[in-house]
Amino acid sequence: MTREGSRGMARGGAGAMTRGIAGVMDRDRAGAMGRGLARVARRRALIAFPLVIAGMAVLSLYRVTLGFPLEYLVLLTTMLFWITQATSWNILSGFTGYFSFGQAAYVGIGAYTTAVLFGRHGLNFYLTILLAAVLSALLALAIGALAFRLRALRGEIFALLTLAVPFILAALARINQSIDGGQGIIVTVPDFPSGVGLFQDYLYLLNLLVAGSAVAVAFWIQHSRFGWALSAIRDGEEVAEGLGVATFRYKLLALLASAVIGAVGGSIFALQIGFVTVESVFHLTIPLFVIVMSVLGGRTHWLGPVLGVVIVVLLQDRLTVSGLRQWQLIVLGAVLAALVVVAPDGLYARLRNRPVAALIAAVAVGLGWLLVPGTGLLDALLAGILAAALVAMWPHYRRRTAAVASVGGAPVNGPSADGLSADGLSADRVPADESPVVMGPAAGAEPRTDGPAPSAANETELVAAAAAPPDTADASSDRASSVRPVVLGEPLIECHEVARYFGGVRALDGVNLTIREGEIVGLVGPNGSGKTTLISLMAGSLRPTRGTIRVGGHDLTQLAPHRVAHVGVARTYQIPRPFASMTVRDNVAMAVMFGRSPRSLSAARELAEGPLDVVGLGEYADSYPSALNLHQRQLLEMARALAADPRVLLLDEALAGLTPAEIDNAVAVVRRVHASGVAIVLVEHLLRVVKQLATRIVVLDRGTCLAEGDPDEVLADPAVVRAYLGKRAHA
Amino acid sequence: MTTIQAALSGALLGGLYALMAAGVSVTWGVLRIINLAHFGLLLLGAYLTFELASTWRIDPLLTLAVTVPALAVLGAALQWVFDRLGITELNSLLLTFGLLIIVVQAISNIWSADFQRMTAEVNPYATEALHLGRLAFPLPTLLAFGLASAVILSGHLVLTRTFLGRALRAYAEDRAVASAFGVDHRRIGVLLAAASGGSAAIAGMLFSLGSALTPATAFEWFGTVFAVVILGGVGHLIGTYTAGLFVGMLSGVVSVVLSPAAAPFVLFSAIVLALLLRPQGLFAVGTAR
Amino acid sequence: MLEITGLDAYYGDAQALWGIDLSVGPGETVSVIGPNGAGKSTLVNVIAGLHPARRGTITLAGVNLTKMPAHRVCSQGVATVPEGRRVFPEMSVYDNLCLGAYRKEARAEYRQTLLRVYELFPVLEQRLQQRAGSLSGGEQQMLAIGRALMAKPKLLLLDEPSLGLAPVVIDEVFEALRTINEQGVSVLLVEQEVERALELSTRGYLLAEGRVVASGPSDWLRDSDQARQSVLGV
Repeated sequence: MTREGSRGMARGGAGAMTRGIAGVMDRDRAGAMGRGLARVARRRALIAFPLVIAGMAVLSLYRVTLGFPLEYLVLLTTMLFWITQATSWNILSGFTGYFSFGQAAYVGIGAYTTAVLFGRHGLNFYLTILLAAVLSALLALAIGALAFRLRALRGEIFALLTLAVPFILAALARINQSIDGGQGIIVTVPDFPSGVGLFQDYLYLLNLLVAGSAVAVAFWIQHSRFGWALSAIRDGEEVAEGLGVATFRYKLLALLASAVIGAVGGSIFALQIGFVTVESVFHLTIPLFVIVMSVLGGRTHWLGPVLGVVIVVLLQDRLTVSGLRQWQLIVLGAVLAALVVVAPDGLYARLRNRPVAALIAAVAVGLGWLLVPGTGLLDALLAGILAAALVAMWPHYRRRTAAVASVGGAPVNGPSADGLSADGLSADRVPADESPVVMGPAAGAEPRTDGPAPSAANETELVAAAAAPPDTADASSDRASSVRPVVLGEPLIECHEVARYFGGVRALDGVNLTIREGEIVGLVGPNGSGKTTLISLMAGSLRPTRGTIRVGGHDLTQLAPHRVAHVGVARTYQIPRPFASMTVRDNVAMAVMFGRSPRSLSAARELAEGPLDVVGLGEYADSYPSALNLHQRQLLEMARALAADPRVLLLDEALAGLTPAEIDNAVAVVRRVHASGVAIVLVEHLLRVVKQLATRIVVLDRGTCLAEGDPDEVLADPAVVRAYLGKRAHA
Repeated sequence: MTTIQAALSGALLGGLYALMAAGVSVTWGVLRIINLAHFGLLLLGAYLTFELASTWRIDPLLTLAVTVPALAVLGAALQWVFDRLGITELNSLLLTFGLLIIVVQAISNIWSADFQRMTAEVNPYATEALHLGRLAFPLPTLLAFGLASAVILSGHLVLTRTFLGRALRAYAEDRAVASAFGVDHRRIGVLLAAASGGSAAIAGMLFSLGSALTPATAFEWFGTVFAVVILGGVGHLIGTYTAGLFVGMLSGVVSVVLSPAAAPFVLFSAIVLALLLRPQGLFAVGTAR
Repeated sequence: MLEITGLDAYYGDAQALWGIDLSVGPGETVSVIGPNGAGKSTLVNVIAGLHPARRGTITLAGVNLTKMPAHRVCSQGVATVPEGRRVFPEMSVYDNLCLGAYRKEARAEYRQTLLRVYELFPVLEQRLQQRAGSLSGGEQQMLAIGRALMAKPKLLLLDEPSLGLAPVVIDEVFEALRTINEQGVSVLLVEQEVERALELSTRGYLLAEGRVVASGPSDWLRDSDQARQSVLGV
């Protein structure tokens, strides 16, 4: 198609041409499927949860009738306590990847609030639970407000802060006479309904209630928009911000939820131990247990902590009974260390891969153990569970390519691709000598002196693309607004005297550029001319040293990072950064969910079909990014950017390394996108492509604008030729 | 105790904190590993000193001849394992946390959870003190300050004047380019860890000179040490030293002027303020670390 | 001096270099030109040992470098001037230079080498204690080259030294390169400034999309249409 033709298409009548029929049916079906699965999951849960809780309650309420041994009830109570704590930890640390070592702070606050107000002053027990929750929330707010604001090292600083907080609180309690004063506080048994039975039953039911609620909250979060935001934060916080996820807010909410749940559990804990001391409630074993339990069970799923708790509590119980108490902590420490190295994603995901084998192992070993003289039911149970765990965890390298079917829309921790997860606890380890520490163009040769210190994960993201013919189904994204007037019009991005320095190096020096509606601007120039810097500035991920950038009338520097997405600018990254734990469709759906007009998950999944079809990834919608080759991931980048419903799309070398056929296809894709009313800024080295596509070319050289205007004229300009080839240009 | 006395004693003690923190800080800055197990090494150093002095009647200061090499080797071995496994920042927190728990529990199993203290018999330094006018400085505190300062100063000299030091600093800034100029990451990692382990032995010994030991002490060090690391700027040795003195002095003054209970809070507030105002470290200076 | 045969390199599952054959003789300056994305930097990284080669061999003075990690490649006598300079910003100019001489063979004589570097780039001597990050682009480039020279290399790899520099500064840099050339160091120069690169070198390779599409004497390469076409797409 000639340039005249494409311009014509751009100027008018775009609607009928670009709104294709093909793909609509597929889209509907897939959308319905996605919606259906989520609904199924929730419906199942709505039935299952109450049943389980009721069943467990029966164990206590009808304990005598059933002949259920009291010591099993006590064991279950312990498990329930830890389920509450582990779930509390997981809501923040598992879902977002911000590890907290401060679980003891919540337990301590809960326990002491109840101990002081109820135990010492006789305030209503249930009221103290409420107060404990409030206090804990306040603490969480303070910590979160501080730690989550810092851009660099925020994960590590957060972890260390949380490590220190329980000690501070413990010191406070110990020294302060009105709290503890070093004596400890006795907590008597409150009045409870007589129908409940013994105090032990009462405790059990309380814990059941709290644990049940905690797990329900975790389940709800995981399946909600909130949960998706948390997953995105875990997989790539900066990318998430760029898509419009208000990361600070969500992290803080997760922290609050965690704190409240933990404190409520702590209040009841005070009741349980009867004598509250600083050592018993602020001890470091609490975070240790909680971390081991969650990491063992699986951090990305609400069921993970439950699994982990069952195993660890059983293990601990059996160790105590066999007189090996002293080894308890050593074993746990060793388990944690081993887990981090061998199976950081935990048991749950692995069990899902081998449910049958694990079950057989559990039953076989369990029954077999019963036959051994001198062992009881619990020993057999533990043996069976451990056998199942071992079978599930056994190294299995096919894991990486198979796309794990996502049931009920739960973001299963799918295989993590090469270093894509930024939190470091990825299953990938950089093999010693092959560590791909590379020099060279990470981002157009900008010195790395700004931004957070690059982690090893960043260094493993290497640039290139492989050939894969994308499906060229012709469909468009379903936009809320219909055809936009695509006459060369209103300025969308205005850069005025923009400069960006990195230390002594001037990457950009006084650039003036306006991107207007309806344009395709080709941004070209030799290496090091500042192209990628300019893109980053326009996308809001870098701040200019001087000058202003206005987007749709807003001053970009005044906007919070996640708001930039909402003003209509989307960008692709040269090196694709998809969310590793989500399917392709869900990656795109994220952009819709948190974009300019927020949608629900199901609606977002439907709307995701459009962009996927435009770039031709429709058939991969249910695969995970790790199953895609690098070129397909580039297309995913584009689809995701499109799904944010931008007015300007910044494409940063989106065509790098494609074969000529693919390039033609990609050009067609870009044209379609443009025709639907999106202005495009294209950073590209392939000048012939730029000539084909661009309505205008801007040439950068050494940080300044060298030439601008009609593609043919500009590229023939001797100054431009000189910039590319050197002093003497040959005709 | 007067305020001046408290301030000075505190500052002297701060030297020890700085030494404790130095290992963690530099390892974090250069190798990007947050080594919680360092606290385990500190504890081990203290207990080994106690054991060697009490059971074998060796002068506490001389026990360094055994503990320093032992812990240096242990530290190096740990680092070698980390390197082979490709452990990175957040991973390292969890992994070393697990190791720390193991060490603390093991120590508890071996030496019991009771408070242990070297008797005056084996520890001749505990009872002596230096008197300057109305100020009194216990010998252990002076020794701690002196030795800690000496170690940190030597560390600083190594970092700034030697090729190895340059290699460490370069590696911290840009791994790829550093290795392109011959810096072997495994070797310097192991060397650094060995030095860190050795410093833990010294710090542990100095601590045991003046205080009673219990396994839980390892956890009590967390707050102070990380305050020093953060205030001093991760990886900045001189910054860590200054921060140590500051933290020590502040704790001392606050304990006297307000109450001993207030010290953790003031410290915590200091960290908070520092993170808000100057996240790279209150005492971190621009140039050569 | 440097012999590369059949070199293949990948980024994940995408092939970036296809069967590269290249050589640099002792004391020779060879340039590698080509459009962006052609794989020039990849080539430099692979030679330097910073990126693994999938197939093929790289030998330097007979020693097989192919599977060696970067620090060992360095000790064999390869020094790199990375793209974008990559000086150590927090360290002083002096420390940057000294780090260049880290490898055993260079360390003993580092003081003499320093003097030679000062001769070549007097501005560095004037700014010895300054933080490298505060230098201007041109000064940083000179520092990066100086740092590489401190390693007393057999082979000097330069990755786009003209990047982002003003023409006057580029002139200075290339003057220095000419002097270095005359001192007998083998040089592999990857450049976008086709003109200047070919002026400095005796031979050149034109790289496009990961393959060598043309090679020969610099004069010939400069006048060929192929070069122009590859870079400008016209």
